Amino acid sequence: MHHVVVERWSRGSSPLHMRDARSKLGALLVFLIAVSTTSPRAQLAFAGYATLLLAALFAARLPLLSVLTRAALVLPFSATFALITWWAGDPARAVSLAEKSFLSGLAVLLTIATTPWNDLVHALGWMGVPRFLLLVIQFVYRYLFVISEQAQHMRLAAISREGARRARSVRFRAATGAVGVLFARSWERAEGIHRAMLARGFTGHFLSLERPHFHAADILFFFAAASAAVTVRLAL
Amino acid sequence: MHIPDGFLSPPVWVTLDLASAPAVAILARRAQQGTDTSGIPLLGVMGAFVFAAQMINFPVGPGTSGHLVGSALLSMVVGPTAAAIVMTAILAIQAFVFQDGGIMALGANVFNMALAGVLAGYLPYRLWSRHWRSAAIFAGGFLSVLTSACLALTQLLFSGVRMPPKIIWISIGLFAVSAIIEGAITLGAVRAIERLQPSSTEAWGPATQVRGSRVIGIVAIAAIVLVAGGVLFASAAPDGVEKLASQLGLKDQVPAWLHSPFAYYEARGFESMWIRKATAGLAGLVLIFFACSALGRYFARQRSA
Repeated sequence: MHHVVVERWSRGSSPLHMRDARSKLGALLVFLIAVSTTSPRAQLAFAGYATLLLAALFAARLPLLSVLTRAALVLPFSATFALITWWAGDPARAVSLAEKSFLSGLAVLLTIATTPWNDLVHALGWMGVPRFLLLVIQFVYRYLFVISEQAQHMRLAAISREGARRARSVRFRAATGAVGVLFARSWERAEGIHRAMLARGFTGHFLSLERPHFHAADILFFFAAASAAVTVRLAL
Repeated sequence: MHIPDGFLSPPVWVTLDLASAPAVAILARRAQQGTDTSGIPLLGVMGAFVFAAQMINFPVGPGTSGHLVGSALLSMVVGPTAAAIVMTAILAIQAFVFQDGGIMALGANVFNMALAGVLAGYLPYRLWSRHWRSAAIFAGGFLSVLTSACLALTQLLFSGVRMPPKIIWISIGLFAVSAIIEGAITLGAVRAIERLQPSSTEAWGPATQVRGSRVIGIVAIAAIVLVAGGVLFASAAPDGVEKLASQLGLKDQVPAWLHSPFAYYEARGFESMWIRKATAGLAGLVLIFFACSALGRYFARQRSA
């Protein structure tokens, strides 16, 4: 599955990987606000943002083509809307819709691909996201791939069993049954997980061995990245 | 239905972020109060289950298939408060890890799917499930998808994304079809779950009875904030509303009071528009941050007291 790729990317050791997650998240937010408030006609500014992201991509030593392809996943959706907008007689906005969504998606991907998941969640907590929500996010992320794999096995099994062409209603019922079975198994799994967690002394929050520190380089990175985005926004 | 970044105009996403952030903070607190430590892995695994259940294809028409969205199903199984938190977690992961939906637009997506979608899915179930159980479950699935999709469309139109009226009506038709599919899948899935695990739909039942009414209050407050913000925005940019009306073919019905007398002067100050937009964006983010941290601190103090 493709998520594994991003997790592998996030364990790199480039200068960008070394920065504190909080400074990267802050820079990301400033960048996204700058892109979001750019006028649809400011094509130079979009070129400027693209240059900034490309520079960051090189600094992060990430595979350029694979990152760009992954970020392009947003394009089918935005291209549809761009076409409709073009058709409605607003070509400038149409082009900017595609550009803004691609640049924003690329910026998020770049942040994710240079920040280990746990550091990112920690940074979100530092920014004031409720702890309970973060715990749920951690658990969803942890079991997402486990249960998805289970769902894929069930899908494969269903396809194998469907040798003779069945009526649509039968297949529909079979699919609802699959959802039911998946639910029951997930519920049991959750109970098992909870027992295991209690056995290991879980008290309601995760403990982390490392405590992230804000270095001077992190502050410098935040201000450099943020001011670069703001400069592009204001000057071009 | 996941709105990416770059589609919503700053006033729209700032308003929705401001409405969603405190609502989620309060709901997280409520969900936490309603459970011991067993609730955390349960909600997490339920979120993973919804993610995975979206992979199961349902044959719908010739050559087409649909899949579950899950807001309504979740609200019926774990209650609306917990369902809103689980959906928020799913949307956050989709935005960060899968680039499905934007970060600035996360407030809008949370509002559409995790708050309004869950509530629209839960209300019919809560009101009618005693007498017309199947109809209530179907209506829950139907309404949750229709509400989320129509909200997303409205937000796009408010942001100035231009669509010909024909396209708008076609997309509303498509939303209705996918809403029917969601209703049918939700009904089938809840039935299957009850056969396999009879206790599960009531596991969180007693607690949600109390919490349900509070959720309605919270979302109502969020809706009021949203409407207030929308009105402010509409009065600041009256041509947006006019454009929307003319796109829907309602141009002649626009009441006279919508034609702001300041429209001409607004247009003259267009050059300074970006300054206002940028300030609005920054101010919005600062406000969200302070609202969240203030709420967090307030709750933390309550907990320790």
